[in-house]
Amino acid sequence: MNTFGLAPLLLILPFAGFLFNALVGRRFVESDNRSIGEKWSGWTASGLALLAFIIGLSLAFSLAGNDFEGETIRLFNWIVIPSANFFVEWAMQIDSLAIVMVLVVTGVGSLIHIYAIGYMHGDPDFSRFFAYMNLFLFFMLVLVTANNYLMLFVGWEGVGLCSYLLIGFWFDRVNEKGQWMNADAARKAFVVNRIGDAGMILALILLFWVFGTLNFNVIFESSAELFLAQHSVELFGTTVSIGAVLTIVTALFLLGAAGKSAQIPLYVWLPDAMAGPTPVSALIHAATMVTAGVYLIVRSSELYEIARLSGETILGTLSSSNLVALTGALTALLAGLIAFSQFDIKKVLAYSTVSQLGFMIAAAGMGAYVAAMFHLVAHAFFKALLFLSAGSVIHGVEHGHHHGHEPGEADNFDPQDMRLMGGLRHRMKITFWVFLIGALALAGIFPLAGFWSKDEILAHGSLNPGVVFDIVYILLTVAAFCTAFYMGRQLLMVFFGKPRSEAAGHAEESGSLMTTPLIILAALSVLAGVLNFPFLSEASAAAAEEAHDLSYRVLLEQWLEHSLPILELEGELEALTGINVPDTPIEIIYFVALISTVIALSGLVIAWFVYRRRPETAADPDPMERVKPIWWFSVLPLNTLYYTTIVPAYNWLARFLADKVDWQFWHDWFHDRVIRDTFVNFSSWLNDKFDLNIIDNGLVNGAGRATGWLASQLRITQTGYVRNYALAVFIGVIALLAWFIYIAN
Amino acid sequence: MGSPIIFTILALIAMLSALGMLLSRNAVHSALFLVLNFTTIAVFFLILNAPFLFVTQIAIYAGAIMVLFIFVVMLLGAEQLRSEPTAAVGRWQVPLSIVLAMILLGTFIFILASGTGTPSVETEALIEAGPVEIGLRLFEGYVFPFEVASVLLLVAMIGVVVLRTRRGENG
Amino acid sequence: MAEVSIEWYIILSAVLFTMGAIGVLLRRNAIIIFMSIELMLNSANLLFVAFARHLNDLDGQVFVFFVITVAAAEVAVGLALIVAIFRTKRSINIDELHMLKG
Repeated sequence: MNTFGLAPLLLILPFAGFLFNALVGRRFVESDNRSIGEKWSGWTASGLALLAFIIGLSLAFSLAGNDFEGETIRLFNWIVIPSANFFVEWAMQIDSLAIVMVLVVTGVGSLIHIYAIGYMHGDPDFSRFFAYMNLFLFFMLVLVTANNYLMLFVGWEGVGLCSYLLIGFWFDRVNEKGQWMNADAARKAFVVNRIGDAGMILALILLFWVFGTLNFNVIFESSAELFLAQHSVELFGTTVSIGAVLTIVTALFLLGAAGKSAQIPLYVWLPDAMAGPTPVSALIHAATMVTAGVYLIVRSSELYEIARLSGETILGTLSSSNLVALTGALTALLAGLIAFSQFDIKKVLAYSTVSQLGFMIAAAGMGAYVAAMFHLVAHAFFKALLFLSAGSVIHGVEHGHHHGHEPGEADNFDPQDMRLMGGLRHRMKITFWVFLIGALALAGIFPLAGFWSKDEILAHGSLNPGVVFDIVYILLTVAAFCTAFYMGRQLLMVFFGKPRSEAAGHAEESGSLMTTPLIILAALSVLAGVLNFPFLSEASAAAAEEAHDLSYRVLLEQWLEHSLPILELEGELEALTGINVPDTPIEIIYFVALISTVIALSGLVIAWFVYRRRPETAADPDPMERVKPIWWFSVLPLNTLYYTTIVPAYNWLARFLADKVDWQFWHDWFHDRVIRDTFVNFSSWLNDKFDLNIIDNGLVNGAGRATGWLASQLRITQTGYVRNYALAVFIGVIALLAWFIYIAN
Repeated sequence: MGSPIIFTILALIAMLSALGMLLSRNAVHSALFLVLNFTTIAVFFLILNAPFLFVTQIAIYAGAIMVLFIFVVMLLGAEQLRSEPTAAVGRWQVPLSIVLAMILLGTFIFILASGTGTPSVETEALIEAGPVEIGLRLFEGYVFPFEVASVLLLVAMIGVVVLRTRRGENG
Repeated sequence: MAEVSIEWYIILSAVLFTMGAIGVLLRRNAIIIFMSIELMLNSANLLFVAFARHLNDLDGQVFVFFVITVAAAEVAVGLALIVAIFRTKRSINIDELHMLKG
């Protein structure tokens, strides 16, 4: 029994939730009983997300029963252009990779929805929030269940849109400097994303040009065929090898992923995106949307591997996969260092996300696709957990603030500033414990999830030969150290020590609606390591053989095998090119594990020493400030670079286009003068000269006047004198006579 | 149709009396001239084998109608016409009228000249045209117009009486 | 001189008719105009009788009979009208009767 037919519901349910909240949600929320209304709005959205999760689970079971072979569910034809042979359909590819993403998105997503019911309580735009959240789920599911690149791109753009909508959710809030910080952040996210999207579109165009289709399976199969047969393809008039084409395509994919998954050089939007509500940060900017880039690369793994194997490089330097790996690793390190200097509790987590995404991207670049997905799943759990508990902390501090102050009193209190926190572990116990679990998982402490996933990536890097791999390994290890350090710093500043402000001193724990999802996520963070537990692979394989039932092979790697065709073709390709396709070790490499554990623990310990006592008061400088070079990262070179070069130029261009071209030329001159004035002149000419003069005056009045004139002329004959009439008769008689004579003749 | 000499004499008398009627300044004189004209016409009737009409013409036309005319002229005291100033109708009417009249006359002559002659029936015996014959003809074929004419006379009488008794005046 | 034929009568009748027409057009005295009309009627009568003689048909004379009858009625009514007008206008100069001027 398989439930593949239910797959379209994955898309329909969240969309229905969007419609519900968009169209009628407001009425519920603004009704007399607000809390009931909120429950309707929020639980509908969350319930639909949960339902999608359950469907995803059933699909997973169907998949397991189907020998892990995926199914394609056709929905309808979308673009059909027979003359160009362009044929795009709307179809869902339900295979194991997609299901992994579906489960993460809907599972974590529904937990965050439930959390948000409590978090957004009292907000006037309650229903709009859930409408957007469901819309986001819809688009994300479109993205991961797509069976062709165009549909994926639709979802890609859609989540970008929802990110914009949700970051700028409180778009009318102005900070003390009068800046629309939320709206600006949303716009920044959208614009930066767009740059990545440009890369995506170029890649899609190239793919279509070469392959004539955008369907995953068709592209993958053809590229493998072409590569194995050593055929060349025609591109813009020249013949190139398939490897070169794929190198370009995959490099462009990297650009897209850099935009969506916040890698160098397009990560700058993610920290600003923290201006949105915390559930948004948790869902979109930790667990799901930002992982779209990783998903894209993993899905296109075949292309990357063929590009790598073909030996083609970008401008003679790196293969695209190596470029991906290095980008990821550099980003991981850079972001980790920036996180040192952040005071905002959410900004730390934001940079942490960038850093962890770097891990995933690096893993994908190194060919460790399974490891990348593993880390994606684990990261989703504990990063969402961290964000949500940060939200809980923020809520608690806010409550403490209102407790001490009169509400409505103007103040510059920033509930997200860690310098104003401290000692919260006594007042917010549950939040403390879950945050602790999340932080340790992120730092990669045994036996939590982060350890296993991060470790697998590091192992892959250390195992495979090549300069790039070694560099990546080193960079990622240092980044792991940074991760441990800044998480320790955050833990200590927020939860330990003495409260540095009155608000922190009066903070309260959050309600169960918020803490329950936290606990669930904490449990997942602990247990997720099981997903790809290295020790289990042999055991599970053996069990499967014994039972003659493939469903015993539950590990992520075995799960994903069937979605990543590259893993099947490995042997063949290696034989052809003699280049090794990177292997991910199945067994644990103790050496690497040891090093990473030592690194993580040392990071935590050093943080303990540095931050145990200081800063004591809010005004105290951060101890790390003494290490100036590290502190310089807070200057955010990339951000500054953009703001001094690209942004002003772009703004100038936009203003020029708006003022000169659009306003003056188009509106003022063309519309107003040319079109409007011409029309007005023409119509007034028609009115005055034509209508009034010719028609009214000329024809209508003229007819009257002519009649009057004629009458006045004819009146002359009515003299009243009989003799004149007699004369007239006489003349008539003569005329008649003449006529008769004429007739007779 | 009578001898030429008689015709010529009578024709001259007719035309001259007509002219006299037109030109005379005194209305009574005009009336008398017209009586002469009517009498001449009556004689013409006699020549043209219409004895009944000869008598009728004299009795009614010259006898009754003209008497009526003279009554009215006397009654209105119009025998003395005031001097007639130039008419407001315009002086052009006079020459124009004469011109048109000449044209009319010319037209008649033209018709006469261009028409084909009608056969004379001199050879046949003339019909008796006494009162008996006229009466027979009237009541045989023309009885309807005869009755209508009597009604007409009645209407005329009533009309005259009505016209005279307007505004309660005794007629 | 030739026999008196119908043409002679036609000419005479035409002349008399024309004179009557001139009288109607040119005289201002209403009674004179009336008399001119009678003249015209008579000229027509003359022609009728001439043709009756010429065609040896009595119908012409019968017609004259009717014309005389109608003329009599007409004169009676017309003179009554003139008298009625004179009562108001104290004049029978038709040039003064232009109240119906357009």
